[in-house]
Amino acid sequence: MKVLTVACLGAAFLRFEPAAAAQSRPDFTGVWGQYRGGRGADPKTLPPPAGPLILKPEYAKPYEARRAAEAEAQKRGEQLANGSAQCVPYGMPTMMSVAIYPVEILQTPRQVTIISEAFSEVRRVYLDRPQSKPEDVPPGYYGRSVGRWEGGTLVVNTIGIKPTVAGYRGMPHSEQMQITERIRLVTPDILHDQITIEDPVVLEQPVTYTLGYKRMSPDYEMVEFVCDNNREYVDEKGVVRLRLKDH
Amino acid sequence: MSQTVPILLAGALLWGVPLSAHHSFSMFDMTKRVTLVGTVTSFEWTNPHSYIEIDVPSESGAVKHWSIELGSPSILQQSGWKFSSLKKGDKATLVINPLKNGQAGGFLSQATLPDGRVLGNGPGRQ
Repeated sequence: MKVLTVACLGAAFLRFEPAAAAQSRPDFTGVWGQYRGGRGADPKTLPPPAGPLILKPEYAKPYEARRAAEAEAQKRGEQLANGSAQCVPYGMPTMMSVAIYPVEILQTPRQVTIISEAFSEVRRVYLDRPQSKPEDVPPGYYGRSVGRWEGGTLVVNTIGIKPTVAGYRGMPHSEQMQITERIRLVTPDILHDQITIEDPVVLEQPVTYTLGYKRMSPDYEMVEFVCDNNREYVDEKGVVRLRLKDH
Repeated sequence: MSQTVPILLAGALLWGVPLSAHHSFSMFDMTKRVTLVGTVTSFEWTNPHSYIEIDVPSESGAVKHWSIELGSPSILQQSGWKFSSLKKGDKATLVINPLKNGQAGGFLSQATLPDGRVLGNGPGRQ
């Protein structure tokens, strides 16, 4: 039944627009730095605060326990193992907001491609095409994304994120997680990506948060990121350690 | 200046986003600073982190080797670093936040290169 609901949503997602609207589309192409406001920032450019993350009780308990263990480890000067310490890419949706790493957006008529500088992660948003049935999308780090324009807003639907990929703020998620993004320019050089995560298995209610980006110089060239010198390792207690050299 | 990283960290936690592409800074003592004056044995311009390997002579003449972690090339180039900023044999002065466990490793705070230039460890991490 739930699978059927998701499939119907996917079918409803396909919609075509008149040619005139296509001409008025904004162009997101370029490199965008993470933007979280700062002193003196114009309030209208600030991403609005995130909504509450409310997990169902059976998921909330282990989630809170893990967060507490992480905080305890932090106090001891340790970090518990996670995928990124082992150089596994973040996947969706975390890849959209890694530290201060920029993302590059390439907008073409049938596809929007988003590349994160951290780990060189790539996602492809197929435009004006129906979403696949969930059972046809192999679970992965980026799933399958389809998008359509609603005026100047690019609306993107993503399904097929593997449950082992850490979710927003480390939340657990099921194969039924669905991510909806509304990406729009709030000024010519500030982009907002409003992200809504739905998961009928894990979440009591959808959670929404907004990421901000600032356009970088057109001369900026993306830096490669291949994780071939990872000196961190996980010890027998699950703690991340640094491997030192002696010469 | 040493307040910069904790402030950044608090900001990142507030937003629920990873501060580093890779790991937290919890293994380093960000409240302590150690100055190393020595000879670079290698400069590794790599991901997920760059490293400076450096031999540091003590007053007695005994040499201790240190492994110093930096940000990734992407982060470093935003504060003026290049892959060729240091090479084997260069004399350098490094101010670091040492590992909490007492081993000879740390996180770079500031480097003085052979030509006298002073570079930080990425934007906001001077």
